[in-house]
Amino acid sequence: MTKELPDWLSPDRWLPMAESENTDAIRAAILSGNPTERELALMLSPAAAEFLELMAQRAHAITKRHFGQTISLYTPLYLSNFCNGGCLYCGIAGDRRAIRSVLNETQLQREMEAIKAMNIEEVVLLTGERMPEADVPYLRDCIAIVAEYIHNVNIEVFPMSKIEYRELAEAGCTGVSLYQETYDQVPYEKMHRWGDKRDFFNRLDAPDRALNGGLRSVGIGTLLGLADPRFDILCTYRHAKYLLKNYWKAGVSISFPRIQPQLGGFEADHPVDERMLAQYIFAMRICLPETPLVLSTRESQRVRDGLAGVGISKMSVGSKTTVGGYGEESEDSTEQFEISDERNIPEFCEMLRSKGLDPVFKNWDATYREPAQYQNT
Amino acid sequence: MMNNILKVGDQELGSRLFLGTGKFSSTQAMIEAVKASGTELVTVALRRFNRNQAEDDLYGPLSELKNVRLMPNTSGAMNTKEAVRAAMLGRELSKSPFIKLEIHPNPHHLLPDAIETYEAAIELVKQGFLVLPYIPADPVLAKRLEDVGCAAVMPLGAAIGTGKGLSTANMIKIIIRDANVPVVVDAGLRAPSEAACAMEMGCDAVLVNSAIAAADNPAAMGAAFKTGVEAGRMAYNAGLMPTSEVAVPSSPLTSFLSTND
Repeated sequence: MTKELPDWLSPDRWLPMAESENTDAIRAAILSGNPTERELALMLSPAAAEFLELMAQRAHAITKRHFGQTISLYTPLYLSNFCNGGCLYCGIAGDRRAIRSVLNETQLQREMEAIKAMNIEEVVLLTGERMPEADVPYLRDCIAIVAEYIHNVNIEVFPMSKIEYRELAEAGCTGVSLYQETYDQVPYEKMHRWGDKRDFFNRLDAPDRALNGGLRSVGIGTLLGLADPRFDILCTYRHAKYLLKNYWKAGVSISFPRIQPQLGGFEADHPVDERMLAQYIFAMRICLPETPLVLSTRESQRVRDGLAGVGISKMSVGSKTTVGGYGEESEDSTEQFEISDERNIPEFCEMLRSKGLDPVFKNWDATYREPAQYQNT
Repeated sequence: MMNNILKVGDQELGSRLFLGTGKFSSTQAMIEAVKASGTELVTVALRRFNRNQAEDDLYGPLSELKNVRLMPNTSGAMNTKEAVRAAMLGRELSKSPFIKLEIHPNPHHLLPDAIETYEAAIELVKQGFLVLPYIPADPVLAKRLEDVGCAAVMPLGAAIGTGKGLSTANMIKIIIRDANVPVVVDAGLRAPSEAACAMEMGCDAVLVNSAIAAADNPAAMGAAFKTGVEAGRMAYNAGLMPTSEVAVPSSPLTSFLSTND
């Protein structure tokens, strides 16, 4: 059963413009000095594809002006792949035959030593849905361990309550990624067959709870391919604007995970090819000049190299999507998704440098580590 | 000739161009730009100090430069408490008497928080720092910060990284007119001509980062800013011709009138 999206999120007013064929209006939107939903919708339209190069040039100039000639780097770290979730598209969903494992304290320390040896200073800790093997107390302990090794600790886990987020913030957690997967409730219900994740609005409100709990930043985004990508990108933009207005001190970043047609067994209902992906990233950059835009190793080497600094300002590196992937010699747990860019960190940094981009490992300091407050103090 | 040494607290600087050190395409490019600019004071974010990886560390390579002093900055701090903590850590690591106090709680537009900055300035002055606060171009705030003992004030020309130049020129003129401490325009400058313009207005120095870091040739742009700042300062010292709303004729129309004496 679906209910209406709140006014601050609904993109209905602008959806018709995302079908526009008026190339004069599209060109004007790309060059606009003050782009809003209207301009974004025009740039998302299929007809805007013919202006892809112009959009890329604009996105590049904006990225360079705001982020300089740098790319911030982070690494994902899988704590657990235990999951009872029913996500149709996921490699570790509850009904998949998967080798399940969860890191204990010693194993996590071993992972962190390996990650530290790669000079990484920002990680994202991942789990599946809320499970006895990987619950909030477990996460809290993991965060405290990881925070002893590196400066910036983030999570990409199940949604939780404000009080639980607070606990994690106090343990040293800085930010959370919470992808809505899709803002369209019909495919959302179809994709999430059972479990807590079926509650669309509980997930939608989770970034608010995370920030109210004291985290400093949230990453949002959708899994492109599940629904009409223009609808999802417009919603993502509106969600970001809402968060920026209501939590004016919070960092808000946007990621662009995509179901790759050629990878894995899952067929996307609304496939997004790499030209479309690039178009959406450029459009978002033009409309949100100051927002970190993130690209993971799901994408191929070629696509990542091309988008680095052209809209994208932050990238994952050296990623392993298995539990114990960094420190252990054998990788016998099942991975969440297949990695396309398998370069190691020195190789990736060399590519960045050859493009005149400085890889930045440390861009935050643990001295700032304490829960944030968004209300007046 | 007027003395061109800039005094900030008890410290003397031969160059009126300060440089930010982030956003460069490589540490090497940054170092070359610093050298070409002739700057004697550079600022480094504490968050870009990296003692674990030399390649990612901005502090180490800068600290090896002769004639360049380091000013840690508190970028990343959201409030007074965090800024004070960052400043203490920065001093411990760098031994610098300077601190660039910047508190911009909104990580997107990076505009400074006047209230937290004021509170932090009081504390840092007490702790013996030479405090150079990055502030909105607010003449009253500038005086309040001077009153609590800041060594200089650094009003913004425009938001960081926007390259919108001296958007706040009218307010900066008031700040300069009233100030007893050096006034440094920080943020917003895109072109050496804008730096020259700020110096002609009577700014004591300018701080530039994005305009140099994001240039195709940062070292050449650093040198260009050096020239711009020097030209502007020379013009200021030389005394600019006043502007006038009406033409001033060289053959006055009232010379036929008899004088009283």
